Amino acid sequence: MTGVATMRRPRSLSEAIDTLAASPGADLLAGGTDLVPALRTGARPVREMISLRRIVELRARGAAGDWLTIGACATYADLAGWSLAPGLAATARSVGSPQIRNTGTVGGALGTASPRGDLLTFLVAADAGVVVTGPVGQRQLGIGRFLADRHGPDELVTAVKLARPCGPQTYLKIGARQTASIPVASCALVVDRVRRLVRCAIGGVASRPVRALAAEDHVAETADWSTGALPPDAAHRFGELVAEAVTTAPDVAGDDVYAPAAYRSHAAGVLARRAAARCLAGARGADARRP
Amino acid sequence: MTEIAIKITVNGRPQEAVVEPRLTLADFLRENCRLTGTHLACEHGVCGACTVLVDGAAVRSCLMFAVQAADREVTTVEGIAAPDGTLSPVQAAFRDCHGLQCGFCTPGFIMSLTALLRDNPDPTDEDIRVGLSGNLCRCTGYQGILAAARQAAPGPAEA
Ligand SMILES: Cc1cc2nc3c(=O)[nH]c(=O)nc-3n(C[C@H](O)[C@H](O)[C@H](O)COP(=O)(O)OP(=O)(O)OC[C@H]3O[C@@H](n4cnc5c(N)ncnc54)[C@H](O)[C@@H]3O)c2cc1C
Ligand code: FES
Ligand code: FES
Repeated sequence: MTGVATMRRPRSLSEAIDTLAASPGADLLAGGTDLVPALRTGARPVREMISLRRIVELRARGAAGDWLTIGACATYADLAGWSLAPGLAATARSVGSPQIRNTGTVGGALGTASPRGDLLTFLVAADAGVVVTGPVGQRQLGIGRFLADRHGPDELVTAVKLARPCGPQTYLKIGARQTASIPVASCALVVDRVRRLVRCAIGGVASRPVRALAAEDHVAETADWSTGALPPDAAHRFGELVAEAVTTAPDVAGDDVYAPAAYRSHAAGVLARRAAARCLAGARGADARRP
Repeated sequence: MTEIAIKITVNGRPQEAVVEPRLTLADFLRENCRLTGTHLACEHGVCGACTVLVDGAAVRSCLMFAVQAADREVTTVEGIAAPDGTLSPVQAAFRDCHGLQCGFCTPGFIMSLTALLRDNPDPTDEDIRVGLSGNLCRCTGYQGILAAARQAAPGPAEA
């Protein structure tokens, strides 16, 4: 690691914002699981760092009304057993190894915004909000907007907001190894039995997670919403439509060292069908919690 | 001056130092504390050889800066045997079950497994495999490690 580094270690969010205002664009350091390897390989120069670890308020996670709020410094381990957010918990459990889950954070995943990031894919399916805070206060962006625009150099991600689940959710991935590696393809499925719709996002296949809108509409129209069951032929068609959405996505990934593109779209369809089998098996409303 | 004064409790002993922010916890343990039981292989977070416990949680010491461990408790492989040198149950099981050959990966496995069995005293084989998925071994083929984990597991908690 070359270059002279400085590190500031604010103890509160307001101190962090002042520190960032004094050196905009400084590297925010959360768990370091992405940043430290990047500094080591020289992919990023070592400069000013602001460590967020001491800011206790950023680690909080909670539920209020219809919303779940997750602080930016919550780790995957903090989320892996969270019963209020089963899809988020499944996603957290699929990331890395225990050592990575103990340190990697939500804010770090959004800061890196890797097209293969597991958390990002789930957040897209959950239609999450991202709260960013800077000198003029905080603002909330939809996850799509955040991925397009990111945050300003004097801002940091402070929280993620999710609607309280109104039905089953799952996250499935295929990687070189099941965990401990970024996905070749992944599928997040969120069922909303109250509004009678599903949202499905596919990760690892393009520069951003891909929403399969036509496939989602197909489920909304063909599911039996009194039971939450999807007939088998509709589930099959859902998989096909998801694979199609991947093939036609803008900046879809080509063949690479991980997989040929054709494998990715095929795998996305298979994962989507499996996800539907899990979430739309007709669990007699047991999972359909009203908000 | 960009150096930072830190105090870290390592294996129960307070260690004070003035360090550069870019010094990793692994280098701090090996160079400043002369605790060379923590091994470094990939230095990319992949292999797990450098696993230590920070406030009880297994982490990669190659991915953490020493300053981030300031005011926290770090346990390394040197810190888990009894003061008289009696091996911990996990260490003893690795010896009994041929859980090591060259031994390079062993400190990382011992620390990961120590944390795993503390949180889950009666793991299934699947729990063990998943729990150790972040540690790589080039020698043993993992079967001895699995056997060691089974032997070291305290078993179901008494009701
Ligand atoms: C061995 C290994 C396995 C991995 N496996 C997986 C996997 O299976 N799936 C997966 O998705 N990822 C995986 N990762 C990637 C990584 O763990 C995640 O991206 C993690 O969420 C990053 O969080 P962090 O806290 O470590 O971030 P850091 O490394 O601290 O920061 C990452 C980036 O985000 C910025 N940042 C940090 N906090 C904030 C904030 N609050 N606001 C704005 N920007 C911020 C930083 O400046 C930096 O650019 C793996 C990494 C390793 C090393
Ligand atoms: S040396 Fe730290 S994980 Fe390999
Ligand atoms: S014993 Fe040699 S790498 Fe594991």
